[in-house]
Amino acid sequence: MRTGNIRDYLYEEPGPHTRKRIRIFTGIAILGLLALLGLIIRQFSETGQFNAKYWSFFTKWTTWRFLGEGLLTTLEAALTGSAISFTLGFLLMRGKLQGKIIRGISSFLIEFTRGVPTLLFIYFFFLVVPKTGWKPSAFWKITLPCAISACGVVAEALRSGVNAVPRGQREAALSLGMSERRTFYRVVFPQAFRFVIPSLIAELVIVLKDTTFAYVVSCADLMQNAKVLISNYDAMLSIYLVVAVIYILINYLLNTLSERIAGSQRRSVRTVTEINKGAAVHG
Amino acid sequence: MGLTDLLSKYGSQYFQALLTTWRLTAVSFAGAFLIGILITVARVSPIRPLRIFGDIYVQIFRNIPGAALLILLVYALPYLQIVLPYDVCVTTATVLIPSAFCSEHLMSGMNTISPGQIEAARALGLTFLQMIRRIIIPQALRSSVLPMTNLLVATMLTTSLASQVPMRPRDLTGIVSYINTHDTGGVMAFVISAALYCLTALVIGKIGSLVDRKVRILR
Amino acid sequence: MDNQKNVPMIELRHVEKHYGDQHVLRDINLSVRKGEVVVIIGPSGSGKSTLCRSIKRLEPIDSGEILLEGEPIPQEGKKLAELRAQIGMVFQSFNLFAHRTVLDNITLAPVDVLKKSRKEVREEALRLLERVGVRDQADKVPAQLSGGQQQRAAIARSLAMHPKVMLFDEPTSALDPEMIQEVLNVIAELAQEGMTMLIVTHEMSFARRVADRVIFMDGGQIVEENTPELFFSNPESQRARDFLNSLHAE
Repeated sequence: MRTGNIRDYLYEEPGPHTRKRIRIFTGIAILGLLALLGLIIRQFSETGQFNAKYWSFFTKWTTWRFLGEGLLTTLEAALTGSAISFTLGFLLMRGKLQGKIIRGISSFLIEFTRGVPTLLFIYFFFLVVPKTGWKPSAFWKITLPCAISACGVVAEALRSGVNAVPRGQREAALSLGMSERRTFYRVVFPQAFRFVIPSLIAELVIVLKDTTFAYVVSCADLMQNAKVLISNYDAMLSIYLVVAVIYILINYLLNTLSERIAGSQRRSVRTVTEINKGAAVHG
Repeated sequence: MGLTDLLSKYGSQYFQALLTTWRLTAVSFAGAFLIGILITVARVSPIRPLRIFGDIYVQIFRNIPGAALLILLVYALPYLQIVLPYDVCVTTATVLIPSAFCSEHLMSGMNTISPGQIEAARALGLTFLQMIRRIIIPQALRSSVLPMTNLLVATMLTTSLASQVPMRPRDLTGIVSYINTHDTGGVMAFVISAALYCLTALVIGKIGSLVDRKVRILR
Repeated sequence: MDNQKNVPMIELRHVEKHYGDQHVLRDINLSVRKGEVVVIIGPSGSGKSTLCRSIKRLEPIDSGEILLEGEPIPQEGKKLAELRAQIGMVFQSFNLFAHRTVLDNITLAPVDVLKKSRKEVREEALRLLERVGVRDQADKVPAQLSGGQQQRAAIARSLAMHPKVMLFDEPTSALDPEMIQEVLNVIAELAQEGMTMLIVTHEMSFARRVADRVIFMDGGQIVEENTPELFFSNPESQRARDFLNSLHAE
């Protein structure tokens, strides 16, 4: 039934009067937005933030190399953290399908990691873990808490993926004499995994955002390197703005990728259901 | 430090911190909801510049890390001669980020409404505003109860940003880092805060699924 | 009074419409008298649904005129809403409001649009549900009803507005075969009671049974217009013959 976005069908074809009103309001909106932009620009110029000394170093190769190194660490932490959280999430998801005790522990861990802010885990690794004698590097002090914080959500995403696999698939595999275990790993999970790719990418975005707290544990990520640049060039606003834009762009691209995949899956799922329907009618 | 020591020494501060987290969460969520609705109205309006503005707004605040936004507000804005108190900075960040997600949830809530129902409303002679009030808003709200519940929990987690600025009273995350830097709170100091966060999340989740069961629209 | 009798209920004059390059309505001229039942048939993509929907301006037309009782239909705003309230419409996909009970679906528009009292409307709604045979489903939500029941409730929803004319846009195309008849019976009953109706359908025996006049459309044009007896036994145009033959072949 659903065809596209509500924006496309909420309005009917406007009549002449409506069209005129839309034109007027469009004009007002453009003026309003331009005024807002003007205000921002004025504030920048009045405070001297357009001064070349705040921006000229962005033409230097070294600036970008330094930011790039930070970004690399950020991506490394995000990808490593995601990989760990997927592993933990998978274990928790499997745990929820086990006997009573393991199921209880898994449910508890899922709820716990979902209900506690990442910062609290980060402080735990920053303040408590070193006192136990285990001294992880700054990289792990940010990566591990981010991974732990995300694993509960991953577990739930995987579980909903497993639930989305049609029951007939499992029954068919079992009736072919495959063991429960084999059925899960060879038939159910591969299909479930395809369903959850979009939410796993979305989860990667969350981990990536959490890694910005790396400054707490002094790990040299994008944000931390930005700080160093700031003290070098005495240019707080410009550098933080550029860094924010970098984060936004990366996350935007990842989210767009996730939505694209989800969209194409919806389409293919629809085709499959239609084929099944057709088969039911003709068979 | 054991649980009893911690509670006797810091009990009232924990209580203060819990209230602070709750207050921040409630204020932020209310603000986020309000702005989320306004942004959503702009995004579905027939005025193209407003749609584009709304889309850009959502993409910015959906994708910016909380820490980056807070740092911009606290450290960078003063260079534009805009100096905000710490608590205003924190609340601004914890309103803006969830507001983008709020708008996304409302949009997908509206997208559950089939074009046919909108056409039927039109065909029955409902005016545009009547259709919005009677058909669109009720369905959009009712089908976004669960996402909104999750958003409320996410907002609570976001308020831990308060621990990054010297804000008084401290929130549940701030109190833990305070105790552990000034005293040897150990694991237990974390457990108390974590438990309070989790219990709050659990209660929110329970209420959310109760409400959802009541208002869910069969399709 | 005499004058008004001669004014057709619905009249289309030189109506044209394009979808991009596609010419979907070509110089359509059609009038429906009060109390008349007109059935439009034709292959899919012939423009018959578009024609039906254009009368309520659910599809705007490029040029030409559409009149209800001699008055041109307004293009927008309150006036258009008021006009739409006078013309009932039943859709292929029922389009009941998913968040309201069947009863609420029926009372919503009379209360909101016609400003009638809730109590009065409620009683009438129950009578209408009784009449279309889904009285016992009144407190369920649409998703709990079968397609046939939903469509009958949708007919009741339209009737509650006391329309001057009813439009049916392929009302049985989305139904399972065993439910088609129950919906057609309700429509046939309405025809007998003298409701003015324009029906787009693929159900030929039904068309033959209820129509005062049959209109055959193809390629956006009205190709043939005739009484059902003559049309089905001896169609004038080659295209209509081909169409009817293709149906028999199925």
